[in-house]
Amino acid sequence: MTEFVIVLIVIAILVALGFGLIGMVRGGKKGSDKMFKSLVTRVSLSVLLFILVLFSGYMGWIEPNMIMVDAPIAQK
Amino acid sequence: MNEEEYYVPEGTYWPIIGSIGVSTLFVGFANQMHGVEWGASVMALGFAITVFMMFGWFGQVVNESTSGIYNKQVDRSFRWGMSWFIFSEVMFFAAFFGALFYARELSVPWLGGADNNIFTPDLWNSFSASWHQMAFMAPGSVTDTALQSGTVLSFPAVPASGIETATPAMVVNPWGLPALNTALLLASGVTLTYAHHALRAGNRNQIVGWLVATIALGAAFLGFQIMEYGHAYQDGLKLTSGIYGSTFYMLTGFHGFHVTVGVIMLTVILYRVQKGHFNADNHFGFEGVAWYWHFVDVVWLGLFIFVYWL
Amino acid sequence: MTTATASHDDHHHGPEKGLMRWVKTTNHKDIGTLYLWFAFSMLLIGGALAMGIRMELLQPGLQLMDPHFFNQLTTMHGLIMVFGAIMPAFVGLGNWLIPMMVGAPDMALPRMNNWSFWILPFAGGILLSTFFMEGGAPAFGWTFYAPLSTTFAPDSTDFFIFAVHLLGFSSIMGAINIIATVLNMRAPDMKLMDMPLFVWTWLITSFLLIGAMPVLAGAVTMMLTDRNFGTSFFDAAGGGDPVMFQHIFWFFGHPEVYIMILPAFGVVSHIIPTFARKPLFGYSSMVYATASIAFLSYIVWAHHMFLTGMPVAGELYFMYATMLIAVPTGVKVFNWISTMWRGSMTFETPMLWAISFVFLFTIGGFSGLMLGIAPADIQYHDTYFVVAHFHYVLVTGALWSIIAATFYWLPKWTGRMYNEGLAKVHFWWAVISVNVLFFPQHFLGLAGMPRRIPDYSLQFADFNMISSIGGFAFGASFILFTYIIVDCIRNGKPTTSRPWEGAKGLEWTLAPKADYHSFNKPPSRKLIEAESQHS
Repeated sequence: MTEFVIVLIVIAILVALGFGLIGMVRGGKKGSDKMFKSLVTRVSLSVLLFILVLFSGYMGWIEPNMIMVDAPIAQK
Repeated sequence: MNEEEYYVPEGTYWPIIGSIGVSTLFVGFANQMHGVEWGASVMALGFAITVFMMFGWFGQVVNESTSGIYNKQVDRSFRWGMSWFIFSEVMFFAAFFGALFYARELSVPWLGGADNNIFTPDLWNSFSASWHQMAFMAPGSVTDTALQSGTVLSFPAVPASGIETATPAMVVNPWGLPALNTALLLASGVTLTYAHHALRAGNRNQIVGWLVATIALGAAFLGFQIMEYGHAYQDGLKLTSGIYGSTFYMLTGFHGFHVTVGVIMLTVILYRVQKGHFNADNHFGFEGVAWYWHFVDVVWLGLFIFVYWL
Repeated sequence: MTTATASHDDHHHGPEKGLMRWVKTTNHKDIGTLYLWFAFSMLLIGGALAMGIRMELLQPGLQLMDPHFFNQLTTMHGLIMVFGAIMPAFVGLGNWLIPMMVGAPDMALPRMNNWSFWILPFAGGILLSTFFMEGGAPAFGWTFYAPLSTTFAPDSTDFFIFAVHLLGFSSIMGAINIIATVLNMRAPDMKLMDMPLFVWTWLITSFLLIGAMPVLAGAVTMMLTDRNFGTSFFDAAGGGDPVMFQHIFWFFGHPEVYIMILPAFGVVSHIIPTFARKPLFGYSSMVYATASIAFLSYIVWAHHMFLTGMPVAGELYFMYATMLIAVPTGVKVFNWISTMWRGSMTFETPMLWAISFVFLFTIGGFSGLMLGIAPADIQYHDTYFVVAHFHYVLVTGALWSIIAATFYWLPKWTGRMYNEGLAKVHFWWAVISVNVLFFPQHFLGLAGMPRRIPDYSLQFADFNMISSIGGFAFGASFILFTYIIVDCIRNGKPTTSRPWEGAKGLEWTLAPKADYHSFNKPPSRKLIEAESQHS
């Protein structure tokens, strides 16, 4: 569930970034406004996501990719 | 310049210089990898020519732009060019993310016997699939019975490069430097947004302040990244540490390269801001670099989440 | 400011003099010409390698060369033809034609345009130089599968990798330029759905290039680190997977084959209406079909990998998705035929090439459908049937359209007419010999002859000899082709600005030999409408 939300926010960030790009391509006052707003959205979402990831890790909802496995590999 | 007329630039030597530079760089690099004596120096020469070309070419464009000979159409062409260049960068990273997901979700479990992979017990009976500790099998890891019974004739125990491999004793802990680095890079995104805001409001002193902060945060990120590589290397996580080391270093390495380029570009933008090249309405150079930085930032976020966590 | 103004005026005076004109040029016509000549010389080199292959296969047994050299020939032939001949030729056509077709003076980013050409000779040089290195040129097939290209490849492979990087830069820059030109330099009064089909197909091809080439760059980069820095992306011993290479490669490779055929569709969609003297049938359906093909090309890559041990669900998905491509392609073929239906047709050389394109490309398309059937592919995989299939789509498809385009637009490029009689002789010579060359390879493949092997069983001898003889004849046809082109450039009769009676398009409103810069003022709405491909 948490992972699902995380991936969803990542996608939202990508979409915001994409809108920023569209704004940049359009140029002019309108495009500039659109670009700036999208980038603000993307920064805010990123901060939110970072906090969510750290909090979820702290609560144990997600586990880091670092658990040591006891079975060693490739024993001689 | 008249908006009705089209703009076509004069002839240029930069492309041919660039071709010579990049080819020299690559030929030198290839020879260096093959242990040829002059490889490294030719590579350095090619790099120098390429950098010379970049500064010369971009410098010429900046000069032409500030002297006002470009029209709106040229500006839009640059915008289109930049946006599709970025898209090609996205696809380049996509190849490496694809490799990460494929190896982690499919090939490593398959090696461990997932999906009824009947060969695994015979080939590698002491093998247990765990994502982050993949390393090359030592020659003795193929079971003797399998060899003797003829199920395995030979087995590429030595990697393509012939380089000795190592098993990492530790993997990177996302709570330490990676979390700090994420915070740094996110903060740089925030400061850059403030710089952008200041630029749109036409406040040059503020722009300079926020830009300097952004560059400093980016440089700090790079410093910590080098530190993290040092730690990881000491703990035995190397490029040669199997697929985990491969994906980890290639993804973070290419990202680090892009951060380096981004820092250089931001520095150029800082210089151009001080020269007064931009105003509140017309600042494509800034926008392009800013977007690039946001992109690099998001790539890191993806790395932090998908390499370290999920 | 003064220097800038002076330089701004320069381009009204036409090209510079001397050799440096070609090095410094920012002119789309100069760069297009450079691209076309580069592609043509690569075509001749790649063709010479193919002659070597057919020479060896003329008779069973090892005749002329050791197998390792044979492998180098097949590999380099494929790489040179794909990356050196077909792709640059289409970029050259795009450079020449797109600014004229959209009513622009030049490409949107002319300096970058120069660079995307001038990387090519260097990349081609590096690639060709591998022949003279220790261990010989790459010998693992143009698809450079790991571990053949990683563990077991010669040192020259690293040079090959960098050559591919350079070619990738060039293609990406070329594609960016075409997108910017079409979207930004188009005449203000030309709507997207007014654009000629060649422009549309190139626009969509550009998206394919920008999506696919970076993935190839990633793949060869992983190869490079696997070879030299001990990573194990494609090495199972380190947890990687050689099959992963195939996935990444074909994620590039399948869009790549459409990169080489979509502009061909565009060319044919210009020539057939001209000589049928009817508007193109189903203009908008052509546009949508092109876009659908491009989209589908991204999601069918693993049909090249049916024998890698994919899960059955994967095989079924990739099989059905592949079959789906036949629908938009069929739309196109039927549109071309409907365009000809009850037209007042004449058969000048470009039309002959275009009609034979439709016919022969469809054969290649059908054999592609056969290969797309997963259970049948178990039999066909890696046989000469595959070779026959992709030569029908690439030689009688892509190359055919390039030759057709050359004859069709040569008058506009040179202001002169080629020798129609000789050109017809050349056409019949080429079209007969190419079928003698490739058609028997279908039978060889179905009977089980594997590709990329210098020797074969005795039962394949007859068809191989026929195929080789066809190959030599086809190769010789390019001598005549070269003569016709050079003769046209030097001695051709001057033409009018619209040498083809039924031709439509903004390029035909320009001078007989198009001016150095095409449209210094955008064309009017009235002119655009009059020259559009709509009915």
